Amino acid sequence: MSPSSKVLPKRQALFEKPKNIGDVPLLVCTAGMAAFGCVMVYSASSYVGEVLYDDAFFFVTKQLVGGAIGLLAMVAAAFVPYKKLAALKYPLAALAAVLLALVFVPGIGVTNYGATRWIGLGSLTIQPSEIAKYAFVLFAAAHFAKNYGRARSFKGVAPVLALGVVYCALIIAEPNMSITMCVGLLMLALVFLSGTNLKTFAVMLVPCVVAVPVLIALEPYRLERLSAFIDPWASPRDEGYQLIQSLYALGNGGWLGVGLFNSTQKYRFLPFAESDFIMSVMGEELGFIGLIAFFAVCLFMIWRGIAIARRCTQPFGYLLAAGITLVYGIQVAVNALVVSGCIPPTGLPLPLISSGNTSLVITMASMGVLYNISAER
Amino acid sequence: MTVLQKRLLSVVLAITFIFFIIAARLFYVQVIWGRELVMRASDQWNREIPVVAARGLIYDRNGTVIAGNTQSYAVFARPNAVGDKAYAAAMLAPLLGQDEGAVLKKLHKSGVSEVTLARQTGRAAVEGIISLGIDGIYYSPDTSRAYAYGDALCQVLGFTSSDGLGLSGIEKVYNDVLSGIDGSILYSSDIVGNLTDGTDIVYREAVDGDGIMLTIDIDIQLVAEQAVRRVCLSSGAESASCIVLDPNSFEVLAMVNYPSYDLNDIPRDEPEVLNSLSRNTIVCDIYEPGSTFKVVTAAANLQEYLNGNTAAFSPTYIFNGSRTRSVDGTTIRCWSDHANGKHSSQTLALALNNSCNPCFTDIALALGTNVFYDYLTLFGLGNVTGIDFAGEALGMLVPQSLVRDCDLARIGFGQTVAVTGLQLACAVASAVNGGNYYVPSLARGVVSKDGSVEELSPVLKNTTISERASAMLCEMLEGVVAEGSGKNAYIEGYRVAGKTGTAQKYENGAVAQGKYVSSFVGFFPANEPRYLALVIVDEPQGAYYGSVVAAPVAAEIFNGIISVKNIPPVE
Repeated sequence: MSPSSKVLPKRQALFEKPKNIGDVPLLVCTAGMAAFGCVMVYSASSYVGEVLYDDAFFFVTKQLVGGAIGLLAMVAAAFVPYKKLAALKYPLAALAAVLLALVFVPGIGVTNYGATRWIGLGSLTIQPSEIAKYAFVLFAAAHFAKNYGRARSFKGVAPVLALGVVYCALIIAEPNMSITMCVGLLMLALVFLSGTNLKTFAVMLVPCVVAVPVLIALEPYRLERLSAFIDPWASPRDEGYQLIQSLYALGNGGWLGVGLFNSTQKYRFLPFAESDFIMSVMGEELGFIGLIAFFAVCLFMIWRGIAIARRCTQPFGYLLAAGITLVYGIQVAVNALVVSGCIPPTGLPLPLISSGNTSLVITMASMGVLYNISAER
Repeated sequence: MTVLQKRLLSVVLAITFIFFIIAARLFYVQVIWGRELVMRASDQWNREIPVVAARGLIYDRNGTVIAGNTQSYAVFARPNAVGDKAYAAAMLAPLLGQDEGAVLKKLHKSGVSEVTLARQTGRAAVEGIISLGIDGIYYSPDTSRAYAYGDALCQVLGFTSSDGLGLSGIEKVYNDVLSGIDGSILYSSDIVGNLTDGTDIVYREAVDGDGIMLTIDIDIQLVAEQAVRRVCLSSGAESASCIVLDPNSFEVLAMVNYPSYDLNDIPRDEPEVLNSLSRNTIVCDIYEPGSTFKVVTAAANLQEYLNGNTAAFSPTYIFNGSRTRSVDGTTIRCWSDHANGKHSSQTLALALNNSCNPCFTDIALALGTNVFYDYLTLFGLGNVTGIDFAGEALGMLVPQSLVRDCDLARIGFGQTVAVTGLQLACAVASAVNGGNYYVPSLARGVVSKDGSVEELSPVLKNTTISERASAMLCEMLEGVVAEGSGKNAYIEGYRVAGKTGTAQKYENGAVAQGKYVSSFVGFFPANEPRYLALVIVDEPQGAYYGSVVAAPVAAEIFNGIISVKNIPPVE
């Protein structure tokens, strides 16, 4: 790989047809995932929608709109030469920080389930942390591409770490433990992939490891969730409830599932069935085999993303592709760990599947960017 | 491979590793643990609304309904579907007749899908609840007992709990027959219990209870109720009771204990009062019978005489006319002073007419402990009769190995022995019916849903005396009513026979002054007994002789029977 990034010529069109055909299977998988997501959202939410909004299609309609916007965003992103995105490094980082901060402004921040994670724009709510993840990836990729040689030292990774810490601090204050974890993991992974010294890497690993128990100790509810996670039946009505309901759904699915649309747990037993816990419904309706098939597609997409990164001759493309792939992979993994009861329940959507438009549109757009990178030879 | 490629590979390996863990965990949860999880979850998925089986009815021997049912309702709540619990409790409590706090507590019950707020709720209250339209409150059909005759037969019938479980009396003894099997409506529901679409509703039909046909004849019961109540009130007695038996089968035709209570308005709030009023004393309590017991002694003597036992007295034997007997250094006196020729030149028949104590002392002592006790055993004394009623008392009989002559001498005329009213009635019935001792019964059969009755046939327990001895005894007892102490039970043209009894009561081992139990056991017609009645009046004020207090009650009952059964007079 070349140690220096190419300076972009000015006055180029924003959209440009890629010179080569990129990784089409990736786009097909992404669109297919989004479509599958709409089916699952419908299945998981039709009953809740009917009871709460008198409309079985309430959630799926929103999801279809998000999917359509996502498709447009993905295609558009595929046509934007990804190198231009490097110029957005500072503006996007700043925008994400401002949005994250706006969450705390009364009247703008939207509080749900005891956490202020959204900002409201009329009827639309967006989740700034979804944007922040990608802003961070872009910043890190652009920074390391520009300062490629210096990434080996602690000083060289410092700006990336600083942004990561700022984001983490803002997200943890919402509070949102799981996205903080994702950003933290992303930070570590990107620094690792930037080719930093293992010694430097080890030095930054220590505070991250220390941070986990500290953060748990700061908020008592996290400790309760942790204990509920160890034995959910000790508090089946309170802290353990969510996990128990998720396990019931998975258990009911067995090998082959109860069949699409036949979930029992979606009858309001399983909270967030259409969003954070949609994988439980998938597991119930499609069974263990269904989930394994789903993971196979996920891993296929991750493999395509990593392969794209590997093929890159430029550090920016390499890191951007790896970062986008990791954002996706980490979220799928953390969500699956939560749903299956390997780690304490936290609020994190399953990308491309869970109801929620911010995540859907941005994830699809990021896949468009990944395609654009793949189209460059 | 460059450093970066190696790093990329490490990340890929890490991701693969994590997904491997996830797959393993999902395999464990879904495939291995799945079955147990589903079993745990089915509790929350399925709801069960009970369908209460209608309780079987209780009929008298002629098919008249004594204990029926009225439609009522059970009210349930699904606590997590009730929004404003405080409001719901405040509105429901007065309709259910319950304390608001208690209702609120039920609505706050956690860990259950349903709580029962009330059973056997009336229609008006349920309509009020429906009109409130509170979410999470629902109801299902229930039944409540309705007793056609209020307090008649109350101790025998017994009562049920608000859950429809028989708590006492026939309701308890035959609870398994009467209660039936509750059904249910089983369905899948969402988290607040609403029926989910496309799921099957499993309806398990309730099997209604079978009916019980009693041996009781409600017409005779009502006659006896009235007579017993009247004597209790007019004599100022503590209590009075009565049993009417068919001597040929030991079927109980009437059983009365007064004071009583209204089965349709049970004093459930006063457990002690209820406990005392609901006691079937004639079966469950014992008393010292006194002279009515002489029937047993006389029967034993007659049979032994016919058996050729030389110790027994012949019907023509004239008993010693002395007022006293001296046994084991104690003196036994007759209740009469024997002055002015009273109780002189008595045969067994006259001794029964006069109820002369020393004569029966002579018999008991003459027969001796072994023979006399054999008869006591045959007559079921000191043992339960085996009636289909819970809590029957054994009675008290001095153990044969410990009995002294002075005890035996007193047992002969009904002291130093305690019996239940039922025991005495059965003993006398077997002595006058030709010598057959049956197991007394309150249930005559089980009534199926199609109305057919599966009848229970009388069970012969043992024989007591021969037909001949029995016939001789009947003749003597007819004389008691015709010309002896039982003449207050005499009914022209109906051949009433019987024996009076007056016993002193004991308190703390000593004779309680002024406290008596007056009784009369009688039957008719004397030559072929069809109805036998025992009347016991406990602690009558003023006149206390059985002949004065109890015999007229028996006459009243017999007159009532004659009237309701249209029995023509003989001759």
